[in-house]
Amino acid sequence: MKHLPKHLRPRWRYLAVGIETWPDAALGRRAFQRALWYAAGNLLGDAGSADADLTLLSFSHGDGEGEAIVRARHGHVDDARAVIGCVSEVDDDPVGIRVRGISGTVRACEERYMGRAGGTSTQRDVAFEGAERSAVVRGDARDVRTGSGYVGAAAFDTE
Amino acid sequence: MYEAVHARPDGDATAARHAATAARYGYEGVVVRTREAIDPAGAGGGAGTGGRSSDADALREEYGIDVVDAVEIDADGATSASGAVGNYRSDRTVVCVVGGDDGLNRFAVEEPRVDVLVRPMDGSGDFNHVLAKAARDNGVHVEFDLGPLFRATGGKRVRALADLRKLREIVTYYDAPHVVSANPRSHLELRAPREVVAAAEAVGFDAEWVREGLRAWGEIAARNRERRSEAFIEPGVRRGRYEEDG
Repeated sequence: MKHLPKHLRPRWRYLAVGIETWPDAALGRRAFQRALWYAAGNLLGDAGSADADLTLLSFSHGDGEGEAIVRARHGHVDDARAVIGCVSEVDDDPVGIRVRGISGTVRACEERYMGRAGGTSTQRDVAFEGAERSAVVRGDARDVRTGSGYVGAAAFDTE
Repeated sequence: MYEAVHARPDGDATAARHAATAARYGYEGVVVRTREAIDPAGAGGGAGTGGRSSDADALREEYGIDVVDAVEIDADGATSASGAVGNYRSDRTVVCVVGGDDGLNRFAVEEPRVDVLVRPMDGSGDFNHVLAKAARDNGVHVEFDLGPLFRATGGKRVRALADLRKLREIVTYYDAPHVVSANPRSHLELRAPREVVAAAEAVGFDAEWVREGLRAWGEIAARNRERRSEAFIEPGVRRGRYEEDG
């Protein structure tokens, strides 16, 4: 179909989203988009959800860390932020999520907010609560494997 | 702005991980609700402010964010809660009482030594004008638990939001002090202040009112620290620097 004239095209805002999970979680792009739309439907209803749009434009995740760009309609950025905050799990994996920043173009969004992964993650044994345990180390963060799943610790706890 | 967190063993992340994440998210401080997670800070009933290098101070130094030692008293009834308040008031900066039962809610708002009544609408708990007036008169902050807004779904969330609305209407009418928290149990459940405000705004809270609620944790901590400092005698009376002349 023919392009819309410029003044009729929707105006977008692009939200850079930082994602954090336990190291064993595997998040897919589709699963994350679904979680986003469900969160929007539950919080804003169908009408608000349609207004806000919330399309996932880019997504990457691995080793307990990820980032995404979410498109929202100009003027519904606060709704979009609320919805993103309400994404608490994706496919039963709990996610920590935050909006790093908002831009008017995808390119500015990428240049300014993306690609700051917290360094590579390695697996090694750390001393935690009086025992040697295997942990995934990423920067200051230590995700320590215990009997009942992971525990979030920091370098402060293991030295 | 401050967030009040559940640290390990009550949650899945240690106090240090909470502090690191909160610092990155732009909080000014974290209140650690779990008593076992960090040692009480500094002087109790006159142990001196000299040799204090508690967990909270070490964390503050490490992550550049204020860490407040608190306790959550989860008692079966008003009698045992009263005993626990007496025990912990002298060595914890912030004392919270877990509500969720009419007797406990009533006890908490009528006890000036309690700083915060947390999760008043949980379980069978309810709130009314009598409690709101008592909370205002005794300076007990009422917590708005946004946890279900972020993490629950379906009917559970609907009921929690309905309770929040009722609580909000009563508390704002009587101008009782309030605090806001998402009750995170791990660093993954922590949300940045702007997200908390945006989500609360989406369910009918006033943005500035929510920010006030997040800041209130810090105000409680600052007030109690001053009260526990050695210069403090009673409200309005403090030992000043004129002591040496006399």
